[in-house]
Amino acid sequence: MNRIIDISTGQLMLALVFILAAQASSFIYHLGLNRDITIGTLRTFSQLFLMGYALTFILKTPSPWLTISIFLVMVVSAMFIIRERVKEKQIAYIIPTFLTMLISYFATALFVSGLIIGITPWWEPRYFIPAGGMVIGNSMSALAIALERFFRDMRQKKELVEMKLSLGADYREASDDIFRNAVSAGMIPSINAMMGVGLVFIPGMMSGQILAGTDPLIAIRYQIIIMLMLVGSTAVSSVIVMLIIRRRCFGGGDELLVSS
Amino acid sequence: MECKDLPTVPLLEIRKLSFSYEGSASLIFEGLDLSVSAGEFFLVKGASGSGKSTLLRLICRLNQPVAGSVLFQGGDIAAIAPAKLRSRISYVAQIPQMIEGSVEENLLFPFSFAVNASKLRPDREKLKEMLKAFYLSEVSPDHSAMKLSTGQKQRLAIMRAILQEPLLLLLDEPTSSLDPESAAMVFSIMEQLNLEQQKTLITVMHGDYNPEKVLPRTCILSNRTLHCSS
Repeated sequence: MNRIIDISTGQLMLALVFILAAQASSFIYHLGLNRDITIGTLRTFSQLFLMGYALTFILKTPSPWLTISIFLVMVVSAMFIIRERVKEKQIAYIIPTFLTMLISYFATALFVSGLIIGITPWWEPRYFIPAGGMVIGNSMSALAIALERFFRDMRQKKELVEMKLSLGADYREASDDIFRNAVSAGMIPSINAMMGVGLVFIPGMMSGQILAGTDPLIAIRYQIIIMLMLVGSTAVSSVIVMLIIRRRCFGGGDELLVSS
Repeated sequence: MECKDLPTVPLLEIRKLSFSYEGSASLIFEGLDLSVSAGEFFLVKGASGSGKSTLLRLICRLNQPVAGSVLFQGGDIAAIAPAKLRSRISYVAQIPQMIEGSVEENLLFPFSFAVNASKLRPDREKLKEMLKAFYLSEVSPDHSAMKLSTGQKQRLAIMRAILQEPLLLLLDEPTSSLDPESAAMVFSIMEQLNLEQQKTLITVMHGDYNPEKVLPRTCILSNRTLHCSS
C-alpha cells in the first residue's frame, strides 16, 4: 500500500486537542503562554495553508523566478523572526545578518539540490524549496540563539572586555571567549540532533517521505544529506554573521560601542 | 659641532579636547588642554560625574573625542594601532577585573596578546618578588584571583598593568572602594612607582590624598575643563 491517507478538515480539527492540552497547562500553571500558543496555532494554520497553495501553484507552473521569490520570502520572514527574538537596538545587525543568510542559504540549497542530489534544473521547486526551507528554519534558530547570547554577554562582561583592551588586547582577543560561546550555543541544537537522529527521533522530512510511500533506505539517504547540510550551513552562517557583528561592536579605536 | 638643547616633547599632550556621550547634547569637556611630562605624577581631582574617568578613557582611546586631539610622544593617538597604544598606556579601572583562574594566570594572560608577545614573561620567582612589593606577600601565585579581597584585587590589577612595562599608567579612582588600610597600601605603591621606577602616572580621585614621598601636580576638573594651580 503506497497511497498516503488523506486528512479531512474534521480530522485536522481533531488535532487541535493537543493545543487545548497546551492551553490548559499554561492556564492551570500560570505560564503566561496562552496568547503565544493561540497566535502560534493561527500562524501555523495560515502560513502552512498559504505555503501549500503557493507550492501547488509553483509545482504546476515551475519557474526559476517563482522558486527564487519563494526562497526570498522565506529568508525575509526568518529575518523578521530573528529581529523579534534579538531585541538589540544599539548595534545594527539586521542588514549583515540578512545578506549572510541570503547568500549562504542559497549556496547551500543550490549545492544540495544541484550537485549532491543532481536535480535538473537546479531550481526544481519540489526539491529546492524544501531544502531551502530546512536550511533557513534550522539556521534561523541557531543565529537567533547566537546573536542573543553574544549581545547579552558583551553587555554583562563589558568591564572584563575593556580590561583586556586596556592591557593590549585587540578587539578579537578581548571578545574571543564571548564569540566562541555564542557560536557554540547556536550550534549545539544541530549537533544534538545528529546525536539523536534515528535513535531518539525520526526527522520530519524522513517521516514525510516514508508516509508518502518512499523506500526507507532512500529516505534515510535524503535525511543524512539534510542533516549534514544543516550542520554545515548553521556553522558557516553563524561564524560569518558573528564575525561581522563582533566587528560592529567595536569602533575604529577598538573601543567597545556596546553600553550597559 | 655645537650641541643645542632640543625642545622636549611632552609624553602626553591634550589639545582642545571636547567630548559628549552619544545622543547627549551637553559636553563633558570643552576645549580641554593638558600636557604631562615623562616621570611626572599627575593628580586629577573633581566631583563625581565631572568626567575624571572619561578623561582617562579618552587618553587610551576607550572613548573617542568629538573634537580635539591627544598626542602621545608627539604623535596623534588616532594614528597608533589601538593595541599598540594600550600596551604603552595602561589603564586600570576603578573596579578591578579578574579572569577565572589563579593569581599567576591573571598576571600572565596579557602576554598571550599579540602585541605583548615579544615582551619578557616574568618567571615565578620574579612574580613572588613583585607580589611582595605590592603588599601581597601572603598571596600565593596559585591562589584563586576571584577569592581575593577588593583591595588585593586592586593591587594585583596595578601589578598586572606594570608587568607590561607601560610608559604611562592611568589609575581610575584606585582607592574609592577600599578600606583606609588598603588605600594606604595603594597610595604607597603609586608613590614607589613614580619615585623608584620613574613611572609616569595620571591618577584621578575625588577623595583626600596627601602624598608622603612625592609631590604630584594637581588639577581640578570642573565646568568642562581642568583648573591647575601654578
